Amino acid sequence: MAYQMQVLIENFGYLLIGAVETLKITSIAVLMGLFIGTFVGMGRLAKSRVLSYPSSVYVEFLRGTPLLVQIFLIYYGLPSLGLNLKAFPAAVIALGINSGAYVAEIVRAGIQSVAKGQYEAARSLGMTHSQAMRYVILPQAFRNILPALGNEFIALLKDSSLVSVIGITELMKSGQIVISRTFASFSIYGGVALIYFGMTFTLSRIVRYAEKRMAIS
Amino acid sequence: MSEILKIENLHKYYGDLHVLKGINLHLDKGEVLVVIGPSGSGKSTMLRCINHLEEYQKGRIIFEGKVIDPNSSDINRVRTKIGMVFQHFYLFPHLKVIDNLILAPTKVLNMEKEEAVEKAKKLLDRVGLLDKIEAYPSNLSGGQQQRVAIARALMMDPDIMLFDEPTSALDPELVYEVLAVMKDLAKSGMTMIVVTHEMGFAKEVADRVIFMDDGNIVAEAPPDEFFSHPKNDRMREFLNRILNI
Ligand SMILES: Nc1ncnc2c1ncn2[C@@H]1O[C@H](COP(=O)(O)OP(=O)(O)OP(=O)(O)O)[C@@H](O)[C@H]1O
Ligand SMILES: [Mg+2]
Repeated sequence: MAYQMQVLIENFGYLLIGAVETLKITSIAVLMGLFIGTFVGMGRLAKSRVLSYPSSVYVEFLRGTPLLVQIFLIYYGLPSLGLNLKAFPAAVIALGINSGAYVAEIVRAGIQSVAKGQYEAARSLGMTHSQAMRYVILPQAFRNILPALGNEFIALLKDSSLVSVIGITELMKSGQIVISRTFASFSIYGGVALIYFGMTFTLSRIVRYAEKRMAIS
Repeated sequence: MSEILKIENLHKYYGDLHVLKGINLHLDKGEVLVVIGPSGSGKSTMLRCINHLEEYQKGRIIFEGKVIDPNSSDINRVRTKIGMVFQHFYLFPHLKVIDNLILAPTKVLNMEKEEAVEKAKKLLDRVGLLDKIEAYPSNLSGGQQQRVAIARALMMDPDIMLFDEPTSALDPELVYEVLAVMKDLAKSGMTMIVVTHEMGFAKEVADRVIFMDDGNIVAEAPPDEFFSHPKNDRMREFLNRILNI
């Protein structure tokens, strides 16, 4: 046990470097997921089938298949179509695309949570559909879905451990590397779990704080 | 006087439900028209068809000499000329009063922000709420919110204002302040269509009153004649009911 603790202490810095990589991947994927999710979420509510049908297919397919398969498909599958991606962009894209599907459902619910009269009031002032969405509906929708988005980001941070399988030295992979050298599985996986927990806990506190601040104004 | 609005043989269905059954109506510039009628008779639907918040299946609406074409992008320009005030105000809750007022002018009419703010101050002063300029809608009473909503609509310099039961969501003691703003607006020459059961307002400022029932306009007269000589039993019964509350 003393050996296990010593290994953890000696390698903690190394694990933290992995955690920074995890944060990096997750942050970029989150932004990508938000971007995709906003448009796909609006698309699902569009009157025109040309928009709503592909949006639904996107959401259903990505939520109905394992993330691990999606990661392999992008990293190992795309090169056979002539599209070679390095591990890092492949990881970010896989996570971002996947998250986009979940965010889309959240955004859709958020838009539906804003009273229909808000949209009509905006249109009655001469705003176009896009203006009404951008200035009136989405700001209110995002406020309503902030907790759900926070949960989605926490889920994504945890799911990002899956990209260790394509050789990205994020937190999970860093732990595995240390273990392969030292065989201190218990303390290192324990340490990895604690660092994940530290990040998700902080994130959930930040979301709660943001929620409170927004509720005031 | 010149005609500003004409509705010809307007029919509206919700699925199989025939809600408007051939509405004909004309309105001159500066006229104030009050619309009354039982719940479900189609008053809101008629108003909402005018600025095309609602689609209709048959008929034409002619505004300022031009047929409103629902499929043209011109509809947004037309809507800036048709102000609308809703029963539930629909102020934008995430924006301060001032930003509620300047949003559409700056984004839709490309008005300079400074100019929009100046104009907003004048209009807020007119509705008696200049001191609330930095407030959020949730901190205002219903009557104040509705006055802000009226000012917001006026920011676009509309040629006609549509009011859909603007006081029926308000506590009784707040009705007066909103009606006062509307009376002031009517006296300034604004063309208005007002769905309301405030008969005092109708008697004082309406040029004409119409009675809607089951998707039709069944009576139309100047207010004094309208209230003293109800045309049929159904109208008499309806008037008795609303005049007695
Ligand atoms: N979105 C809708 N879908 C289906 N039916 C509707 C819809 N909106 C209104 N209706 C129906 O159309 C008819 C006319 O409604 P409308 O709201 O125009 O009446 P109103 O005269 O404004 O009534 P109130 O005094 O209650 O506001 C009613 O029978 C109503 O149930
Ligand atoms: Mg109504």
